[in-house]
Amino acid sequence: MDEGVLLEFEGLNVNRGSRNVLCDIDFQLKKGEVVALVGDNGSGKTTFIESCTGIVPFKKGVLLFHTRDDSRTVIRNSEGRKSNLPTIGLTLQNDGICGEETVEERLLTSLHMQTREVSNLQITNLLSDWGLDHRKSDRNSQLSGGLRRRLSVLSGLSPAIISSEPIVILLDEPSEGLDENARKLLINWVRALASKNHGIIIASHDKELISCADRIIKIQENGTITESNGSALGDFAKLPEFSNDIEPISMMSLVRWSTKMEFRNPIDTVGRLTPALIALLLTYSLTNNTNFNTLSNDILAPLILLPGFITCIIAPALINRFNEAECGKWWHVMLGVKLRPISSFLGASILLPLPLTYLSWFVLVGDNSGNHSDEVMKWLWLPALSLIDVAIAASALHFLVADLHRSNAASGSLLLIVLVWPFLELSNSLSVIMSSGMSFSLEMGSPLISCIIASLSSSIIWLVVIFLPDA
Amino acid sequence: MFDYKATSFALIIAGLLGAAISILLGFIWVPSLDPETTLGEEAFRIIYWHVSFAWCSFISFLMLFAGSLLWYLKNDEIGWRYFSTGSDMGLLFGFGVITSGPIWGLAAWGKPWDWGDLRLNSFALLTAVALFLVLARKSQQDNDENRDTLSIIGLFGFSLVPITAVATTYYNRRHPPIVIIKGDETGLPNEILFVLIFTFISFCFLFAGLSLLTDRINQLESKIEGHQRNIDSRWPN
Repeated sequence: MDEGVLLEFEGLNVNRGSRNVLCDIDFQLKKGEVVALVGDNGSGKTTFIESCTGIVPFKKGVLLFHTRDDSRTVIRNSEGRKSNLPTIGLTLQNDGICGEETVEERLLTSLHMQTREVSNLQITNLLSDWGLDHRKSDRNSQLSGGLRRRLSVLSGLSPAIISSEPIVILLDEPSEGLDENARKLLINWVRALASKNHGIIIASHDKELISCADRIIKIQENGTITESNGSALGDFAKLPEFSNDIEPISMMSLVRWSTKMEFRNPIDTVGRLTPALIALLLTYSLTNNTNFNTLSNDILAPLILLPGFITCIIAPALINRFNEAECGKWWHVMLGVKLRPISSFLGASILLPLPLTYLSWFVLVGDNSGNHSDEVMKWLWLPALSLIDVAIAASALHFLVADLHRSNAASGSLLLIVLVWPFLELSNSLSVIMSSGMSFSLEMGSPLISCIIASLSSSIIWLVVIFLPDA
Repeated sequence: MFDYKATSFALIIAGLLGAAISILLGFIWVPSLDPETTLGEEAFRIIYWHVSFAWCSFISFLMLFAGSLLWYLKNDEIGWRYFSTGSDMGLLFGFGVITSGPIWGLAAWGKPWDWGDLRLNSFALLTAVALFLVLARKSQQDNDENRDTLSIIGLFGFSLVPITAVATTYYNRRHPPIVIIKGDETGLPNEILFVLIFTFISFCFLFAGLSLLTDRINQLESKIEGHQRNIDSRWPN
């Protein structure tokens, strides 16, 4: 075992379609080393970088990370993902930045992958080094392409600044769109971080940037690699001094991030509410001459639950946020297998089913509740609450479809048809409550059992969809 | 060398001919049923195609399941071929089931759909999954990541069968299902049975021919894609 190694591939083979992009690659990234990846367009540089993160399926081979105690951890092999990555710095080719977040939040999120405590002063210092401090409260969507790139590069490098242990930094075409000054700064930061024992892999066409590497790896047409020595040129930048090596808060960071994005621009809430309210109002107005009290409870119950159900099955806005500039890929690398279950909860319509079901009841039935059991108002929350389970299952299904590269071209709604079962069961439950009131009997067909079965069937769908992809 | 094109065309033509003959036999040769049966006095004649569609789609869905499992567990190329052909065939024959079923249901029972019918609901869900898979295969780039996701969705499709079974059983408790056959009738008349088996065999020919053809087309498409990628990577030399 080599004690100076951070990351290692053994016999890596990666396919893209029928083409073997990376073929029989044995590679080690050592502490304090800068490796430049070169090759023509489409040669596999980005695939190499993504393979280092373990998010790409391997045809053959294994990805290993050497941890603090110098033991080797298998991150991925040909059978799939085996364990989560240790903290790394990552700059994706498409930035991996959501336009909704501010400059400061982007950097903070990136740093939270390494530590839970970061002060405002530290953030300001880092941003000012890269000429971004005056923009710290701006949304990323307002930045020019060059400034976005600077932020993306800074976010990729900064976890190493605050880590006392050597970490791996992966930079995919970092100098693309950077001006002369920013390119020089990048080179000097790279050399300075390497001097602190961090290992850095850079995929690039930029000759100036390549000249700062200790080793150059060229990816050949047939997917194999050739190695040559680099020039290791560049000055050492003076890096900010931080010592925040405290446990990271990666999972909570995603919760905080997605909540902030939704508060700032509530496209998820509005996107779910609008069709639900339209459905409710259409039901009301198109059946204007109908006395709802004369309708059978078997018909009225699904009409009452329908708006809530509609909010549950709409695709989460979080998927669009993840799709923006490969933002989801960045989170996938950082959170690994934890991303899917957390996202299915964060993306689900949790708050809306309950108030919408009550609203639906008031609009459709209102005061004329004489023909229904008195207990309806008291127990309407029960099927509405079960709808939340349906929402979580629906959200998980949407995220599964989002794994496809062109998820917007896939008809995910076809998979949601299965959720008609929990909906029918909840309708049964409400219908019984409306007809004969709430009962706590555990017989088949009782409201409680109907809700439990609806929740259980949703949970089974959720379990299948969450665990199959990463099993 | 095995001639895919000639064999598959021969099988398809034989299958189509058999299916056409089965319509003639079904309408002309097979006598009407007792009006007491809810199969429908005359409407039951759709049974030959409906049941044959159902059996062939069952084979297709099994093929899809086996292919999904093979790809999911071993990234096996043969598995992917089963998956692709199974989803195409599942869509075609499943669509046959869920269109002929409601036509029959409407004539025989007075309503086109029954949420209490396990088979109809399972076929509908599996056909929806097959439609998703076919559309997604056409719209997505063919790479290992997309194949992984699609094979997972294929497996997810099969988890729907037990979920549907439980849900339908439970649903039936409150909404009793439509009884298909009344009285003491336990078997089908010989003429019906004969035409049914004849139609199924014809559909099997059709299934085999279309499967061979689809598999061949998929393989050739993948080969062309590989050549195109090689040309891309050689540019400008």
